[in-house]
Amino acid sequence: MAAPSFQGRHMRQPSKNTLLKVVILGDGGVGKSCLMNRFVSNHFDEHSFHTIGVEFLNKDIEINGEMYTLQIWDTAGQERFKSLRTPFYRGSDICLLTYAIDDRTSFRNLALWRNEFLYYADVKEGTTFPFLVVGNKVDVESEEREVSCEEARAWCMENGNPPHVETSAKDATNVEEAFSLAVESWAQLEAKLDRPYIGDTVDLQRQQPEQRSSCCLSVGSNTE
Amino acid sequence: MEEEMWRQFYEKVKESESKKDRTEHDIRIQELDGGFFEKFGTLLKEQHSQQEDGDGLASVREDEQPRSVELQLDIPEETGEGSPAMALQDSDSEPDDADKREFITDAMGWNIEELYSEILYEILHIVGCDAAAEEERAPLFCYLQEAFKLDYEKHNQLLEMARAKEAPNILLNVEVIEARDLRPKDANGLSDPFCTLFLTSSVAHRYNTSVKQETLNPVWEEHFSLPVENPAEDVLYVEVWDFDPAETVREKMMKIGEVKGVRGLRKLMKEIAVTASTGKHDNELVGCAALPLKNIPASGQTLWCTLEKKGKAKKQGDVKIQLSFSSEKNSQVASQEHRHLLRLMLLHELENSKECDLEEPDGKMFSKCKVGVEPFQWNGKFSQSAETILTQHLVQCGLSTAVVTLAQWVEFSSVHVDHPLSFITFSLLLQKLIKPLQNGLITDDEEKLFWEAAKKILPSCYNGIRKIRKLTHSDKSTLQQLSAILSILSQLATLQPPEGTNLFPPSIYGWLAVSENEPNCDIRATLDAAVTQGAEDWFFHILENNNSNDPSEEAQLNHLIRIIQLLRTDLQKAIEFHDRLFQQYFRFSYAKTLYKLYESKVAELVEPVVTEVCKSLKPLKFNDRATDGICDNDPLLMGTTLFELYLIVQRFAVLGTGLCPVDSDVFNIHNFHLWFHAGVAQWLDIALYKALQRIKKAVEIDNLVPVDGSVKYSSSAVDTLAIFYQIKIFWKQLAWPDVEGSYTFVAKIIDDICRCSVFYADQMSGKVEGMGESQNVYEKKFEVTNEWCLAINNIDYVQQSIQPFVGELGMEEIVTSLANFRSQTAADHCQRTLQLVIDNAVDTVGNKILELLEKVAEKMAPAINRFLLEGAELLKQENNCVDRLMKYLDDNLLTLHSHLNTDNFSRILSIIWENLSHTMYELVESNLERRRPPTFFLNLHETLKILVGFFKQGEEKNETNSPAILKQIEHLLLLHGMETWELIHQYNLERREEQIALELPNLGLLTVRIQFVEDLLRIEILNARNLHAMDANGSCDPYVKVHLLPEEKFRTVTKPRTKTHKKTMFPLFDENFTLHLTPEQRHLKNGLIMFTVKDQDFLGMNEFLGEAFVSFSDVPKTDMTTGLEELEQVHLKLSRPTKQDSEAYRALENRHDKLSRDFLKKEKAKYSSS
Repeated sequence: MAAPSFQGRHMRQPSKNTLLKVVILGDGGVGKSCLMNRFVSNHFDEHSFHTIGVEFLNKDIEINGEMYTLQIWDTAGQERFKSLRTPFYRGSDICLLTYAIDDRTSFRNLALWRNEFLYYADVKEGTTFPFLVVGNKVDVESEEREVSCEEARAWCMENGNPPHVETSAKDATNVEEAFSLAVESWAQLEAKLDRPYIGDTVDLQRQQPEQRSSCCLSVGSNTE
Repeated sequence: MEEEMWRQFYEKVKESESKKDRTEHDIRIQELDGGFFEKFGTLLKEQHSQQEDGDGLASVREDEQPRSVELQLDIPEETGEGSPAMALQDSDSEPDDADKREFITDAMGWNIEELYSEILYEILHIVGCDAAAEEERAPLFCYLQEAFKLDYEKHNQLLEMARAKEAPNILLNVEVIEARDLRPKDANGLSDPFCTLFLTSSVAHRYNTSVKQETLNPVWEEHFSLPVENPAEDVLYVEVWDFDPAETVREKMMKIGEVKGVRGLRKLMKEIAVTASTGKHDNELVGCAALPLKNIPASGQTLWCTLEKKGKAKKQGDVKIQLSFSSEKNSQVASQEHRHLLRLMLLHELENSKECDLEEPDGKMFSKCKVGVEPFQWNGKFSQSAETILTQHLVQCGLSTAVVTLAQWVEFSSVHVDHPLSFITFSLLLQKLIKPLQNGLITDDEEKLFWEAAKKILPSCYNGIRKIRKLTHSDKSTLQQLSAILSILSQLATLQPPEGTNLFPPSIYGWLAVSENEPNCDIRATLDAAVTQGAEDWFFHILENNNSNDPSEEAQLNHLIRIIQLLRTDLQKAIEFHDRLFQQYFRFSYAKTLYKLYESKVAELVEPVVTEVCKSLKPLKFNDRATDGICDNDPLLMGTTLFELYLIVQRFAVLGTGLCPVDSDVFNIHNFHLWFHAGVAQWLDIALYKALQRIKKAVEIDNLVPVDGSVKYSSSAVDTLAIFYQIKIFWKQLAWPDVEGSYTFVAKIIDDICRCSVFYADQMSGKVEGMGESQNVYEKKFEVTNEWCLAINNIDYVQQSIQPFVGELGMEEIVTSLANFRSQTAADHCQRTLQLVIDNAVDTVGNKILELLEKVAEKMAPAINRFLLEGAELLKQENNCVDRLMKYLDDNLLTLHSHLNTDNFSRILSIIWENLSHTMYELVESNLERRRPPTFFLNLHETLKILVGFFKQGEEKNETNSPAILKQIEHLLLLHGMETWELIHQYNLERREEQIALELPNLGLLTVRIQFVEDLLRIEILNARNLHAMDANGSCDPYVKVHLLPEEKFRTVTKPRTKTHKKTMFPLFDENFTLHLTPEQRHLKNGLIMFTVKDQDFLGMNEFLGEAFVSFSDVPKTDMTTGLEELEQVHLKLSRPTKQDSEAYRALENRHDKLSRDFLKKEKAKYSSS
């Protein structure tokens, strides 16, 4: 395709990319920023500091032949930042609910995060929102694990059945996959919305992705 | 610079407001949300005027009235009635309005008649030059009678009695103070002066001062009392003498040392003077001054008298004397009399100011229309009559100034309890009393009286301070009163009350937390308490008067706003008017004290409400993809009121930092912003929501004409920037003190601006969507219109303003303070995020522009397509239709060029060109399917060349830059524009390429020798090998035929053929052929020699065995001397056509002429024969 030559000024390529706003939520210290940095710049910083309020990064990604630009908002998990981060929920397309598998509290707080998000994101009632539940730090020793994959899956089943994935930002396990999964899940919901209403069959179709979404992209060593 | 730019935007909006239609325009936008942003702006303005209040004293109240928040205060009415004085009255201890008449008789009953006659007597024997003449005594009697409230009979009776009494014994008190510029009498140029005093009625009775040695400016300061017989006619003489020390005198002078006591000394001096005056001396008169007693005012005077000497015109010098009258009355009795007289007179004065008014028309202190003096107004000045009577009394009783002042202090303070007098009066009295008090010059009894009186004044002083808010601040006199109060207090504070005095009895000072038993005399501490108490009272007063019954949050917030406003106003008044006075008299930080109290109260009051309200805030329901369906957004108003409260509290906090720059961070209110934390998110949301709505409206009412001649964008772009500007103002007003919060909110604002810009872009492109399209029965047409260009420019304008706008938000400052607050790394991190958000915004909007540009190009495509097609169809009829295409492009591009900026024009040019290429390609493809004649494609090719020229006019020729698709098109057009024979040759050329590329000769080899000698082509066919058997018996009968290609050009040339060799796969032909070519044929470009090997069949159905091609250019060129046999043998790989999908082949398939049909048939035969 011909590249229009623009003089004078920096300009991103005219992209037909679908823009998706992604918000990463979860307790402080579960590794939200690390996930984002691993995903966007494939970089991991052992000693990264607390996020102040929010952080933002862009990433282009191709999924099923479609080009997407993910606008990722990484939020500060500490309670004192609550009123600073909530304004950013509005207009989100995808929400990553994160916990650390070696931190039970962070897992228990998932529900709080989910509710906080739904409250402030102004998601239309009755719609399914593309959440993705991410259990980070899968690189820790197995004796340090506090949340099992099954447990997490069970939680998902009870909470709208979002896809679940265990990742490690440290050794890059499943990070790309997590984001891809999130986008796919978005795309499926979107496709459903676009489809004209066809009566009862919609309900049946809704069942289908649930089956699919229960798939847990686990890391081999942890499924033993 | 950026600020300037925004100003300009804003001014542009403002400016255009003057035009009527624009005003309507703005009103329409504002109507949308009830002037949401403007309201924020107004808040700012109000704050501004609030701050200015300090300058204009009188404007304080007027300014408060038009505020959007209605002040439900009754204070203005209360004070406005013109009786701020009432406020000063002690409401705690004030008895019911006492009957004053009763009070007088109570106090005076014992001797009122006696006092009366005493005064009458004094009037009869009036002294002093200022005293009334005989005939003027009548009004005095009259005044006195009224003041004492006696009937006429009684008056006459008492007057007779007074007349009957003998004249009083009046003394003239003389103090000889000093003399100056005396004429020298002695040889040494100096004198030894002394004074002699006497009255003409008693010349023999002389009074002498001491002698001052060797001076011309002696200071005596000596007192004398001269009995006065006839004050009307007597004259006082003052003589100054030069003492000449005669023997006797000197002897006497020697005795001075032995004299004991003042009295003895005076006796001695008298003797000296007698000596001098009886002539037994050589003293010399320096000069003499005569003072008629009638010229001396009753109240006394101090004056310089010029000394004169008989026969001498020259000045002899001046002497300064103080003169006053006094009596020999008992001083105790006299001072008591004087006090009672003072009280009677004062009460009379206060009651009958109207009368006084008549007597003293210039008396400004008295109200013209009211009988009686207003409380706190009486300034210590009696009417003329009263003044005369009082002066006569004190003179005739011989009362000292201190005693009289004390009497006034005591009596005035008594009256003050019931009828407050001006504090200034007391302040002045105290100033006179302070010296004698400090120096212990008054008796213990008098001191006791003084403090008793002080106790009567103090409550009203403290009340004045406690009720300070009820004073009218614009009135200068009330400030003077306050000043007087503080002066009184500060002077009293320097004194030590007698043992056991309790200045602040709890019975009166109910508001003061004091222990019952312990005497308390701490004036300063009580002042502190009074200030605090007053402030607390005021605070609760405000609370009570503004109590709102409305339990809604909105009402609660408004309630708080009112309260803080009132407190702020109070503080401002305190700073403006009162603080200075408190500082001056007590070094007391009045405003600071108030602030400390208020701020804790405010914090106590506001924090829980705000926290509660913030907790209950619900997020707004809207999204920027469809703003139409927004409803259910009640909390909107709440957001603004909360914001209003925020601003008020913020101003309040700022006031505190101003008052206490050092310790402001200990205030409870210091971290006020934290209470509002959740509210900010709400406001940002509201701002976004409002902005989106406004943008929608702005686009709706934009009629897409440039706002003025100098620019290329229209109203909605300006409106949108104005909205951004408003958001910036909002942010600046918020002045969020916490840096981490600031950073995050700025990120949010930038993101919101991005959304707004994208939303604007979407709305804008939606608006122009159907424009420029026209349709008639034959065709649908699209022309690029100015509106399209403006829409693009508008978005571009908005996009370009994003980065500078962000600068306006103070990003730099935030990053800098983040670096200080956290670390440089953290700051860098945050800056990176902000920059990414900005870039993202700019890019996203940039893509929107491209989208729109693409849309334009897309809309132009059908027309371009049609004109292209027509141009190709109608062959070369003067290129008419290409002209139409070019005109269309020209017209539209001209519009684009004149309206778009350079960047966007080159962008759309590229897009159109790209689209055109695609259109062209599709056109070619679709017409290939429709098997158009070569001329069609030839025409298209011509058109393409013109177009390329057109689009690449300005650009440098750069082949690599031209799009791949263009090459493809050119190729196709070239191919399909060919004649059939050309196409066939093209095909054969490709076959030759194939043959060269062939790796293994699967159909065998043919060995030949070929040579060009001039125009002769000599061919020797040697042999073939490994031919493929085609016959059933596994063998074949091969022969070779030679064709020169393209056949079209070699029709005149015979096609050589070898003999057929039977049943062999390795035939040895060994045949030579010589072909005569024309020079044109010989030099034909791309000429080919084709060798076809065939199997001869019985039935003439010769089968194809393989073919080989040799290009003319590969044939060696020699002269006649070189024989063919000398050349190298050429082994040609035999092959057969394998592909039927080559472009040339397919192009041939599209043709319907016989030539191509025959050719294809042959080729297919070759293909199928395998």
